[in-house]
Amino acid sequence: MPENDVVAAAKERLEESGLPSDWLDTPVHWGVKAKEQATPENGGLRFEYLNVDVYGEVPEYWENNTEIPRGAIPDTRTEQMGYSIFNKSEVWSDLCAGLYEDAIADRWNSSADIPWDTLAPIGSDLERAVCQIATLMSEYGWTKAQTTGRWLQEISYGYIEVKLFLGTVVFDGARLYEVWRKRALANGGGLGRGGRNWKFLPLTQSYTFSEFCVASIMHDAMLIGLLRRGEQLAQTDAERTIYELCQKDIERHLAYFVDHMRYLMLREPVRREEVHRYLNKAEWYLAKDGDDTLYSALAVIMGDGREGAEEAMADVAELRREQVETYLGYLRQCHLGDRDDRLNEELRKWAGIMPAEEVEKIPV
Amino acid sequence: MVTADKLDELQLEPEVPELDLSWLNLDTEWGVSAEPGRKGLTLQQINKTLYGDIPATSEDSSARPRGAAPPEGATPRMTPWVLGDATETFSDSAGLLYDEAVSRQWSSATDIPWDTLDELPEDIERAMAQLCTSLTEVEFIAGDVPGKWLPRIAADHFESGLFLMSQVMDEARHTDVFRKRALANGGGLLLQGGGGGLRQILEAEDFTQMSSMLHILGEGFVQSLFRLGELIAHNEAEKRIFRLAAQDESRHVAFGVTHLKYTLDNEPDKAEEVHWTLDMFENTIVDPDQANPGLAGALIYLLGDGDVDEGWRLFWHVRRKQVLEYLHRLDVAGLGGRLESGRLHSALVGALDEN
Ligand SMILES: [Fe+2]
Ligand SMILES: [Fe+2]
Repeated sequence: MPENDVVAAAKERLEESGLPSDWLDTPVHWGVKAKEQATPENGGLRFEYLNVDVYGEVPEYWENNTEIPRGAIPDTRTEQMGYSIFNKSEVWSDLCAGLYEDAIADRWNSSADIPWDTLAPIGSDLERAVCQIATLMSEYGWTKAQTTGRWLQEISYGYIEVKLFLGTVVFDGARLYEVWRKRALANGGGLGRGGRNWKFLPLTQSYTFSEFCVASIMHDAMLIGLLRRGEQLAQTDAERTIYELCQKDIERHLAYFVDHMRYLMLREPVRREEVHRYLNKAEWYLAKDGDDTLYSALAVIMGDGREGAEEAMADVAELRREQVETYLGYLRQCHLGDRDDRLNEELRKWAGIMPAEEVEKIPV
Repeated sequence: MVTADKLDELQLEPEVPELDLSWLNLDTEWGVSAEPGRKGLTLQQINKTLYGDIPATSEDSSARPRGAAPPEGATPRMTPWVLGDATETFSDSAGLLYDEAVSRQWSSATDIPWDTLDELPEDIERAMAQLCTSLTEVEFIAGDVPGKWLPRIAADHFESGLFLMSQVMDEARHTDVFRKRALANGGGLLLQGGGGGLRQILEAEDFTQMSSMLHILGEGFVQSLFRLGELIAHNEAEKRIFRLAAQDESRHVAFGVTHLKYTLDNEPDKAEEVHWTLDMFENTIVDPDQANPGLAGALIYLLGDGDVDEGWRLFWHVRRKQVLEYLHRLDVAGLGGRLESGRLHSALVGALDEN
């Protein structure tokens, strides 16, 4: 019987009425008042502020296969829901709650936040090239959202912060898809040619979340390498804004994937070789796929039309080199700096890195 | 081991990609323009040309955007299967609902006036904490489900995909906002209340069956309840939570209704299958064994503001509204007549009784 008179009386009234009343005197962790941190200077009531008392204890191993909220009292009659990820090291990053709130605070709307009225005729070759790039961007956005979404049903409420953040990744993927579709269909052009999609297989096929994460790091890093050139590639303010906003989104995704993989590498160093195998696969597909229309379209933009494309190819090669460098840079942040030695031979060529066997001949 | 700084010494000229300009001469539809309207450049505005034509069937499991030229050479199968038949997943309103979702996103951190949460009597705070425990739990599954279906949506029917992606985001926010409310004002998380049909929604292997359970019946009931949130709320913060969440749920319900309508318009034979699903799901949600003990008790307690008899009275008021709105939605979708044909579960029929 609860000591508090108000609660005791409430319990009595419920019971008289035939209603369950167990919940009233369940041993709750009373007194958590996250609202106290919710000031405008603090960004309102951010999810980070909920992590107090038992509610902030993120377990190394989460034992419950139902959707029970972390910190609630279990109802043992509940059916199992088929989650498959119960290890903190498999998904965790301390950044998730913050990144989730950042994603919401930074939300944008492709209908209203892009200055579409700045689009102007840019000549047929350039329009074709922009539309070709837009087509490939849409494909990646679609794939990102679909493949991220697939992991939601695997992750239990024990790691709620991760799931909330992944929800924003799904939504960002949707926007990446549609903002570029809009660009392709808004300025006198149309869609270009779809990619071969082989490069996406490491994302769609991933059997483990770790594989999905490193494949995402690779694709996101390649993309960010491109988005960072937005200032140079954009033909109008509308495109400039698209590049900027997409870049911000993808940087958040990378912040999570990288921080998570760093966490995994520290917690489970024994998984290093396994992770390299995932990277071998991801890089192989990327290299084999080649993205030929992407780099040729970039050449047309950088060469200001098809006539200048051949000459612009040297600049495109430099951009592709930066992309691979960016990718290796992110892996170093994950404590996967040994990837430098093991990078796929084709990607070494893209990055202008000496073939591995040549490197081995150099006395260290 | 080659260190990062040593890499510089090993730097060669990067390989130059091959130049292939064949994509400059594609026969995709060309010369398409769109003007931003009152709400900017929405999906509706770019869907006016051939790119807006929805194929009745799609065999493309790749990510190729609708209307783009196919790639040259071999392509992989991206997923074991996609739901290529538009009747399986499409809704004429999906694009519009996605546009609306994007423009009506809100933040549980900054759009809820958390400073209006005053101290509540302990019984009321406990009841609200219990209700929010149950709701964060329900919303959690509501996000898993669209995530599960995403890889099965054909890129040719991307509007439905985009809608489901926006739903994943909305449900994340709902999971989050109810957890926030439970932990904001001293209450905490109370009893789990699994059951109530959550498993049935998650385990469905037919999109339309899933959608009629999740979007029409499940979220329909939730939306009717949230729209009466004024009856439950004790302060401006709680009122705002219910109001904003109800707005999101309206989109989810609308998707379900318009999807079912699309399906039945194009494949009337599917009606009986959906009836079966609803027979099962109505039975599940009224099954006493499936009842969520915390949810019902806390809800009634809050509705009556501690007066249990009054709570019951208002509960039946809510339930009646839930059932009436459910029947109306089925009517709009082209699946009317459950009440008249005696198919509606008797416990729901009983709720229609004014007394
Ligand atoms: Fe919801
Ligand atoms: Fe919903």
